[in-house]
Amino acid sequence: MSDNIAAQEARLGHRLIAPAALIIALLILYPIFFNLYLSFFDVELNGDKSLVGLNNYKTLLSDGGFYSALWTTVIYLAGTVTGTTVLGLAVALLLNQNFPFKNTVRALVLLPYFAPVISVVFGWQFIFDPVNGIYNHVMVEVLGLVSERQNVIGDPDSALWVVIVFDIWKHFPIAFLLILAKLQSIPSDQYEACAIDGYNAWGRFIHVTLPECRFVIGTVVLLRMIWNLNRFEDVYLLAPNVETLPIYIYFQAFTGVIDQGLAAAISVVQLIVLSGLIWFYVKKVLNW
Amino acid sequence: MAKVTIKNLVKAYNDDVIVKGINLEIKDGEFVVLVGPSGCGKSTTLRMIAGLEDINEGEVEIGDRCVNDLQPHMRNIAMVFQNYALYPHKTVRENIIFGLKKTRVSRQIIDERLAHISTMLQLENLLDRKPADLSGGQRQRVAMGRALARDADVYLFDEPLSNLDAKLRHHMRTEIAKIHKRVQTTSIYVTHDQVEAMTLGDRVVVMQAGQIEQVGTPMDIYLNPRNIFVATFIGSPSMNLLSAVYDAQQQVFKINDASVSTELLSQVNTANLKDGDQVKIGIRPDFFDDERFTQDTEDYWQLKNIMVDLVEPLGFDKEISFHIGGQYVKARLDLRSDIQEDDPIDLVVDPNRVLVFDAETGERI
Repeated sequence: MSDNIAAQEARLGHRLIAPAALIIALLILYPIFFNLYLSFFDVELNGDKSLVGLNNYKTLLSDGGFYSALWTTVIYLAGTVTGTTVLGLAVALLLNQNFPFKNTVRALVLLPYFAPVISVVFGWQFIFDPVNGIYNHVMVEVLGLVSERQNVIGDPDSALWVVIVFDIWKHFPIAFLLILAKLQSIPSDQYEACAIDGYNAWGRFIHVTLPECRFVIGTVVLLRMIWNLNRFEDVYLLAPNVETLPIYIYFQAFTGVIDQGLAAAISVVQLIVLSGLIWFYVKKVLNW
Repeated sequence: MAKVTIKNLVKAYNDDVIVKGINLEIKDGEFVVLVGPSGCGKSTTLRMIAGLEDINEGEVEIGDRCVNDLQPHMRNIAMVFQNYALYPHKTVRENIIFGLKKTRVSRQIIDERLAHISTMLQLENLLDRKPADLSGGQRQRVAMGRALARDADVYLFDEPLSNLDAKLRHHMRTEIAKIHKRVQTTSIYVTHDQVEAMTLGDRVVVMQAGQIEQVGTPMDIYLNPRNIFVATFIGSPSMNLLSAVYDAQQQVFKINDASVSTELLSQVNTANLKDGDQVKIGIRPDFFDDERFTQDTEDYWQLKNIMVDLVEPLGFDKEISFHIGGQYVKARLDLRSDIQEDDPIDLVVDPNRVLVFDAETGERI
């Protein structure tokens, strides 16, 4: 008997994941390699390609639009990742306390995450509408903080902040959910021991909560970075004038002076950064 | 170091009263053990002293200061938890000095204290390890070290040995006794294990259903239990309780066909007993003796020709089971009594060791 049960099970396992592996290969690996291939070509609209070597990358390095998009992405990432993590942690700490209707409130907090992006985007655009939006009404007429009504989403500089706040609002529930799950698993006697060791609530947060949540916070930060480096639909639907890398790539590849070779080159840069983040997550964070 | 005074302490969760107004005074430097079955309120009492539970009524004083409204970190106490509650991300060294660092003592004192504690608890080689890399006994020692490192007024122990195996528990019990002898700090120790209570406590507090049943030295509790609960809770195997009826005419307690005269049990005050009163006669298994190896047995309660149902050898001791007046009884004899099952034996009991309880109230007569 050369065929033992383990070998049979392994074969069955391979057969079972084969369809999924095939689909992943077709939908993800093929485009990645094709994209890498394209980045060395000048692609004509009719599909003709001519090899240009590293020219696309050279163009990229002297392209002001690319640096601008890179900087916007950095601000977008820093703002959204910090915002979602801090807000998620704060809300998780708050909702880890005991109070009436705790479970209802916890469920309500998750709503932004589950709401379809297209519908909430319309809501947010309406809030910031220069004529009818509540934002301008409150800022100008009620509080008088601003002298005249502004098209907050129309101006790319202020729109970036709207996009960041929108992302924090929409995605902090996932940070909240992950952190809350961890908070609930911290044994209460750790807090009690820390209290008896002479530490007040802040000391207990620093010495018990934070170290215990280190892994989950690391996970949230890195996952949010990976997701938001790729984030397209939220930004494009809410304020397409905020040119983060994915938006910039889209404009390069499919609008105006179409240059798919250049777009492919930018995608490769993005892929390298992403791979670095994923490597760090798998090698470091998962080992904490 | 400080005394601890508990006045009319009450703890209730909604309508469920867990601690029902207890009073206790613990002297400076004393080692007091709170013992009782699960749910008797002993841990809750300890946690109220620590400040980990709110006090519904009454007062806790540490030294001369009422600490009811003080947070745990303001009470200057140290505590050893049942599950040790070590900080998993800190090393043994950091765990031990964590509380000490907060007291803002100098680096030198911290180092000295750490060296002293780690030597005393044999933790020198483990200082750089994390709790996850330690065995149960080692974790227990670190938890002890963390408490001892602080110069606390009171040490609180919440069933610190209950997660250890029997051998290690025995060892650590001795260690705790030694440490207390050396540091002489007021200690309050909660356990459900009566052996720990007997061996460690200067005084033992037996609790049941949120109330204190008896406070006394271990031997006092063992020899002079106030009621049936204390009598049966302390001592292993448990005290034998024989149902008997008081016969005023013949001045005997009748145990079905057997009997024992009240003259023999001269320490029992029969003045308030009426003819026909139901009582329980309590005899610890340890107080039965083999007649052959006992001298001056004239004044003893003689139990002749007892048929042994079961012999359970324990090494030096053996437990034998038999019947008195049709009621099941256990006795503990030593190595010398080479007795087999279904053999007869003559036993004697020192009448001074026989206790009589009111069958209805459970109180000592």
